[in-house]
Amino acid sequence: MPSPEPDLAVAVDIGGTFTDVALHDAASGRTWRAKTPSVPADPSRAFMAGVRLALDEAGLPAGALRRVLHGTTVATNMILEGKGARAALVTTAGFRHVLAIGRQDIPRRENLYAFVKPARPVPSSRVLEVRERVGPGGTVLEPLDEASVREAAEACRGLGVEAVAVCLLHAFANPAHEERVAGILRAALPGVAVTASSDVLPVVREYERSLATVLNAVVMPGVASYVSRLEARLEEARVAAPLLLMQSNGGVAGSATIRRAPALTALSGPAAGVVGAREVAAACGVRDLITVDIGGTSADICLIKDGRIGLTQAGHVGPWPLPLPMVDMVTIGAGGGSVARVAGGALAVGPQSAGADPGPAAYGRGGREATVTDAHVVLGHLPERLLGGRMALDAAAARAAVAGRVAGPLGLSPEAAARGILAVVDNHMVGALRVVSIERGHDPRDFTLVPFGGAGPLHGCALADLLGVRRVLVPPAPGVLCADGLLAADLKAEFSRTLPTAGPPDPEAVAGLYRDLAAQAEAWLAREGVAAADRSQARVALMRYHGQGGELAVPWAGDATAAAFAAAHEALYGFRLDSPVELVTVRIEAAGRMPRPAPPRLPPGTGARARARLPVHLAAGLRDVPLYDRGDLGAGDRVAGPAIVAQLDATTLVPAGWSGAVHETGAILLGREP
Amino acid sequence: MRPSTEAAACDPVTLEIVRGAIRSAQAEMEALIERTAISAFIREKKDFYTGLFDAAGVLAVGSNVPIFGDITGPVFRDFPPETMRPGDLYWYNDCYGSEGAVSHSNDQVLLAPVFRAERRCGFVMAWAHFADIGGLRAGSISPDATDIYQEGIIVPPTRLIEAGRTNEAVLTLFHRNSRFPAQSLGDMRALMASVDLGVRRVGEILDRFGPEVVADALGQLLARTRERVRERLSRTFAHGTHRFTDAIDTDGHGNGPFRIRLALTRSRGPDGADRFALDASETDDQAPGPVNFLMNPSIPGMALGLYYLGGDPTQVCNAGGPQALDAVTLREGSLLRPRFPAPLGMRGLTMMRVLAALNGLINVAGGGAPAAHSAYVIILLRGSVRREPAGPPEPFLLSDGIGVGYGARPEADGIDAVYFVAQENYPVEFLEAGYPVRLRRYGIAADSGGAGRRRGGCGIVREYEILADEAVLAVRIDSVANPPWGLAGGRAGGSGRAVVNPGTPGERLLAPLSDGNRLARGDVLRIETGGGGGHGHPFDREPEAVLEDVLGGFVSREAAQRHYGVALAGDALDAAATAALRADRPPTRAFHRHEYVDALA
Repeated sequence: MPSPEPDLAVAVDIGGTFTDVALHDAASGRTWRAKTPSVPADPSRAFMAGVRLALDEAGLPAGALRRVLHGTTVATNMILEGKGARAALVTTAGFRHVLAIGRQDIPRRENLYAFVKPARPVPSSRVLEVRERVGPGGTVLEPLDEASVREAAEACRGLGVEAVAVCLLHAFANPAHEERVAGILRAALPGVAVTASSDVLPVVREYERSLATVLNAVVMPGVASYVSRLEARLEEARVAAPLLLMQSNGGVAGSATIRRAPALTALSGPAAGVVGAREVAAACGVRDLITVDIGGTSADICLIKDGRIGLTQAGHVGPWPLPLPMVDMVTIGAGGGSVARVAGGALAVGPQSAGADPGPAAYGRGGREATVTDAHVVLGHLPERLLGGRMALDAAAARAAVAGRVAGPLGLSPEAAARGILAVVDNHMVGALRVVSIERGHDPRDFTLVPFGGAGPLHGCALADLLGVRRVLVPPAPGVLCADGLLAADLKAEFSRTLPTAGPPDPEAVAGLYRDLAAQAEAWLAREGVAAADRSQARVALMRYHGQGGELAVPWAGDATAAAFAAAHEALYGFRLDSPVELVTVRIEAAGRMPRPAPPRLPPGTGARARARLPVHLAAGLRDVPLYDRGDLGAGDRVAGPAIVAQLDATTLVPAGWSGAVHETGAILLGREP
Repeated sequence: MRPSTEAAACDPVTLEIVRGAIRSAQAEMEALIERTAISAFIREKKDFYTGLFDAAGVLAVGSNVPIFGDITGPVFRDFPPETMRPGDLYWYNDCYGSEGAVSHSNDQVLLAPVFRAERRCGFVMAWAHFADIGGLRAGSISPDATDIYQEGIIVPPTRLIEAGRTNEAVLTLFHRNSRFPAQSLGDMRALMASVDLGVRRVGEILDRFGPEVVADALGQLLARTRERVRERLSRTFAHGTHRFTDAIDTDGHGNGPFRIRLALTRSRGPDGADRFALDASETDDQAPGPVNFLMNPSIPGMALGLYYLGGDPTQVCNAGGPQALDAVTLREGSLLRPRFPAPLGMRGLTMMRVLAALNGLINVAGGGAPAAHSAYVIILLRGSVRREPAGPPEPFLLSDGIGVGYGARPEADGIDAVYFVAQENYPVEFLEAGYPVRLRRYGIAADSGGAGRRRGGCGIVREYEILADEAVLAVRIDSVANPPWGLAGGRAGGSGRAVVNPGTPGERLLAPLSDGNRLARGDVLRIETGGGGGHGHPFDREPEAVLEDVLGGFVSREAAQRHYGVALAGDALDAAATAALRADRPPTRAFHRHEYVDALA
């Protein structure tokens, strides 16, 4: 039988240790996977090596690729590690120190005697002023003095900067001065990356907008050269397909968009995972889920209602508020490498992490701290060999670390101490799970928990028990879900405009704004090459009661929008006000639909058979527990706790009281016994 | 006190979990207030806090601010706890009626009991500064006030909700007394919703762990803080009496300075255990103007506690701080214990000076507390504005808090340009959209940070152009005559000032603590705020750090040369000239204010 013309997409997710590749042929429904060590010095090498491995396995030529999808942490790491480009900020005369002052506060959780303001990505010595002034509503109060811009350009040259951010007061209401300044700087400073706040984030509040623009500038040269290297390697390999990069909003965009606003990729990796979890769940018919992505140093938690991934503009990256549209998730410093310590009689876990090197004591690379992974090893949750047998665990070292660092100081047995470490870290994660669910008016018991990431499935059922959640879905490949997410992501972008003055919506004016934004969105979709039938736009209104500082996003429904806002306010906060409802920002969420990979089909199983029995310390005492190899399980096979299911990229702990079956997509659906 | 039954004990793991759960409940309550409150004072400036109390009303988990007194006592006096029922909510702002648990009337306290199985297990509190509650002038606090009746409506402890039924009449009466009733109403709804949420969350925590375990956990959190603070106190303070004196400049009515005299005595009690007693009774007499700080006896212990807990995220700021002190003595009729009905509205500057004096007390005993800070600055601008050319004039009130510099520390510079814990600025773009002012400048006040090996934090310059036809300004700036002291060779921080139309023939310097200053359209008001004291000899500061300060606008070239002995050639260091300057090293003494001295009188 002649095989149909392949419709190939490849997804590459670069992690700290490994680069994961998924190659999918939409025509045949087949997926091939590859894993290759990451090359931190030049991630594009691992990128191309992984793509080649997958193509070789599939026996298909590079020229057959139609789409290349990529999640990148290049921008994130530059922000978190402060290793971005040397940049300058150009701002309105009189406001040089906006960035240094910030919001003028000692943060609520900090101690006023010990607090040190984090060093800004651009120090005050590289902030330059230009003479101009725009007022509220975008009125020009003082024309732009172009001579002052040329002086600033000269100063930038003297400072030897690689990037310049431009953020002028009230530019969100009138970007004309900013655009002119950026134009002059670009002409005067060839080879220097220039970005203006109105390109990055046209929203009110000068500190947050300046910061977002500066962060964009700081990552711009690095991301641009990274994207160029990737494109060069693809060209070398005769790949004609476009390179699409994952953004923080859970959608992909072409490299031109990302070069202009690389800060959009700040949460690229975690967002891809959330999309992957949504797809895996949808294939099992699950549309209400809470995802928990647990890696080595952090956990990302996100709630998906009715298959929709929510967006927020109140996110953070490290210590910095970054009000760009991003998947509404909560990140906490708790993961497999989180270190447990006893101080002053109290047990604390994280946020310090043993990282990948030396890593947990159990990795046998010289780590002496007791980590969450070590606690799992002490209790027998992890089989002795990880990663398909390539890495052995040092159980004695794990036990020594837990005994010395935690059990001894607290006067507990090593097993009790290990359980304590897990209880504390689980509780920390439950706090974040509550933030995305209960705090936002959702009852977590109505949701299915989807744990993923290398350490997720070890904690999934315990977290579900703490929240009263009765269903847990373990994806087929929990450790490489980001690559799956890339394959399933749509093209996405937001186009928004903050009204010059907030007020009751004027239907005619609003219609005009939406028309303008819709035209911008259409132009973007066309540039990205999306066919007309695959384009969609959703109108969203950000509203508040007169006087409030925070807005709620509700779908725009003309005259009925205000009532929808009041209902949403009551659902979220428990009360309504008689005050007038104001429209603050209008937004269009544009999407270009991409072909969805067909879900995998697992052949029917013949009954789960344990490979071995492992001694595991359960709450009830030491028991022999069956160990299953996930590769042995077929559709319909049942697993009953207590049990351990091991696979290449993750280990699932099924506690007593939990049981379930393997779905035909390969996911394991677990339920709490009544 | 901890229950003695074995079953009730909370193990160290559960303790950490309970602590984390309470912290999340607190964060959730705070987020609700921030998102739903109406007045800019609460939702932009974020002048609100929350706390959780144990069954006996003792603060078990507070916010990181040393400004809470004994919040529950005043309610218990009028409403004995055994008479409380589920669904009750209590409310007050009565400073004298609460012994300074709140210390100016703008702060509204809401408190609700949490019950489980008909047993009272704890209390949840939210408090917030309301923008206007009536009184002499818009904003309710005015340097002109001479008694507390001029500072707005006084609410004694009141049962606002009785078993789920709200006393709407008392709310109506309260909102009717505000010049901005819609803000008052919206803020109160937000605060009530926050307490309601807190009661639910704490109830869930009680359900999850059981009331006995939670009670034991709260007891342990208190004991942990108390023990840590006492242990640190004994490391800092040798046996004997340690004294420190600081001063505020004026009460705005021609009186002052007012000295705050603190003495801490460590002695051995009859049982052989250490006894720590703080005596502030030698503080000057109360002031006719509104700078009196009715200091709840818990406050010094809260501040010392917060200092000794440091940045350790596993520690909890609670009543363990106050419990670490065996006695606090105040004198009736003094600045810190004024007699009713002395005015209190501007007590913030005195409170900030008490915190600096406590730093001084630790430092004279050999501890490592920061040098002194300036008191945060506030202006109140009131007037009316026509939103439409032919429209009616509408009143406006702009209460703008402006950051200052904090004191340098042995291991870190002082914090530049911050107001206080949790309280944020009004962004320029927000301010200009809502108020009849245009900002001409918002930046760092160069040279306001005291020179030192560690530099004191710098204050702020904020310059407003008035767009209203007419406005009346109140301003509160302290530490002008008595700038924040420097330490261990560090120089004092700079002083603030308020000036109208600077650099013009009509330039006018305003009294730093004054009201009734009339401004007209087109006037320019410049506020400069003070900095923090420096720490260590300025000649020991790394020249590169001084260079960065000069290039960033924090230190002038002249000051770099004069105080730091650092010379610049263009935008680079002049190493030879710097070495020559630093060869002639001026002698220093323990403290600096105007000049180097061994002790501050």
